[in-house]
Amino acid sequence: MSTSAVEVKNLTKIFQTSSYSANVFKKGITSSYLVAVDNLSFTVKAGEVYGLIGPNGSGKSTSMKVVLGLMAPTKGSAKVFGLDTSDIRARNDIGFLPENPYFYRHLTGEETLRFYGKLCGLKGSALQDRISELLALVDLEGARKRRLAGYSKGMLQRIGIAQAIIQRPRLVILDEPTAGVDPVGSRQIRDLILNFKREGISVFLCSHLLEQVQEVCDRVGIIFQGQMHSEGTLDELISIGNRYSFVLENASPSLIKEIQKLVAKEKGATIAEQGHPKTTLEHLFLKIAGTKK
Amino acid sequence: MTTFSETKIRIPVFSISRIWTIATGTMTQLVRMKTFYFLIVFAVLVTALGHIDIMSASAVSQLETIKKVAFGTMDIFAWLYAVVATALLIPRDLEDRTLYTILSKPVLRIEYLVGKLLGVLLLIAASLALMFLACLFMLHLKQSSFVSSELIAIQSGPYMTETQINEQIALIKQQGARPVLAIAALASFLKASVVAAMTILISTFASSSLFTIITSIFFFLIGHAHGMMADFWLNKSDGNFLVRMLTKIFKLLIPDFQLFSFSEGVVSGATIIPQVVWSMGFLTGGYLFVFLLISLMIFMYKEF
Repeated sequence: MSTSAVEVKNLTKIFQTSSYSANVFKKGITSSYLVAVDNLSFTVKAGEVYGLIGPNGSGKSTSMKVVLGLMAPTKGSAKVFGLDTSDIRARNDIGFLPENPYFYRHLTGEETLRFYGKLCGLKGSALQDRISELLALVDLEGARKRRLAGYSKGMLQRIGIAQAIIQRPRLVILDEPTAGVDPVGSRQIRDLILNFKREGISVFLCSHLLEQVQEVCDRVGIIFQGQMHSEGTLDELISIGNRYSFVLENASPSLIKEIQKLVAKEKGATIAEQGHPKTTLEHLFLKIAGTKK
Repeated sequence: MTTFSETKIRIPVFSISRIWTIATGTMTQLVRMKTFYFLIVFAVLVTALGHIDIMSASAVSQLETIKKVAFGTMDIFAWLYAVVATALLIPRDLEDRTLYTILSKPVLRIEYLVGKLLGVLLLIAASLALMFLACLFMLHLKQSSFVSSELIAIQSGPYMTETQINEQIALIKQQGARPVLAIAALASFLKASVVAAMTILISTFASSSLFTIITSIFFFLIGHAHGMMADFWLNKSDGNFLVRMLTKIFKLLIPDFQLFSFSEGVVSGATIIPQVVWSMGFLTGGYLFVFLLISLMIFMYKEF
């Protein structure tokens, strides 16, 4: 049996918060508790792309930070490839890209990758080759000598992904990977995620851009107020069991009429929707951007 | 593209190499933040000092003034830089989320803290070394010029024996460029090291760089009035047990920065016994160890 990439069991995280009360009877600073994550359990299987979605403040980032070892759970446990996340060896298997990362703006793209590579124990020609390979992968070869202060948001995200996978981790954790990135940059990031999947790298991503999650994830967990609301494959979550659709191409009006007649003959069956399928604004934008390049 | 399944590097639990990577990264970051502009200001100051002739003052007192100003400036640079540069490191890494990417790699929190401190200290050491060399060079030029002028003045003045001439020259050289002045630069470095370690400690629980800078400078100033404040409290309380205990804790936690002022004696030309330098070195090491230990205890359990 292969070990899961991430295994979160009964995770609870409670924060203590302080607030000032001006109430006459209870004046002063009072402590209260905030349950950010409440008995959360989920598993990211090796080689799959798992998306954790939920509104702001639902506990996504807190869960992610526990998996990264940046926070300790109040209760429960989080393991990466069978190792507790507080174990330094577990972190060699993790690549992480935070939301809107800045990195050291005075370093160039190449120096940034060298810095993170050295932290992971890479050196010499192996490191240099890996840097060149990653810069090519994220399409930043032309900007390798440019300082990050001059990078666009999309370029920062891409160098962020490159640093995340510098040590060839088995798990990549992405927090809102396409936040603030234009559709072209966003598409590049999605392609990289799909590439990870092909390479067998597990991906655990948090996002509230549902369409993107739908496009890349094998399984999705929906978290709300710190609890897992629903979890499953995309088919399980979004299929409408009593409906079926097919899209016709170059169908004549008479054929469409025939189909409508056939449906009308069946007792209880109705055509819920019909018309010309529409493309998305995003696809249109990408098509235009692609032809203008 | 090579895949993840290729043979991976064994990760040591503790690594000097990771500390060095963080230290050199910190140095690069600080250098590129153009903090070295201060060195240009210093070079201009030293050059200007070398060209100022105080007509009424003797050669000896002129050299003494140049040394005091130059080494005083070096000392201010060292501790101020230690505060500002150190205060910028951890809070900024946290604000920019760079800390997340570093700590999610196989890096121990102690390695991160030591690496950051080492980076600042290396940069201060390099800056002090450059400033010291500039100062020594200027003193050497000034000293040579004073010696030549003195010899001309002796030749045209009343008769002096060779011993008297040598004594006069030795007096000038005593205040001139001497390698022993390196001890004064070392004293500034030791003081700056303690200040940087204290600032690292404050930054582990501070919410911003500004808070860290203000608090560190506050404790630095208190550290200069160490003995005076402790005596004042003890006298005022008539030796009250609680006050005595509090004074002891205060003395233990806040370094007595006056101890590092032995550099003033070196600059004035006084002889410093090596034991003083060694004991100050050990004291600095002790402070670094204690401050790093407390910083780590806070940082280990800090949640980001």
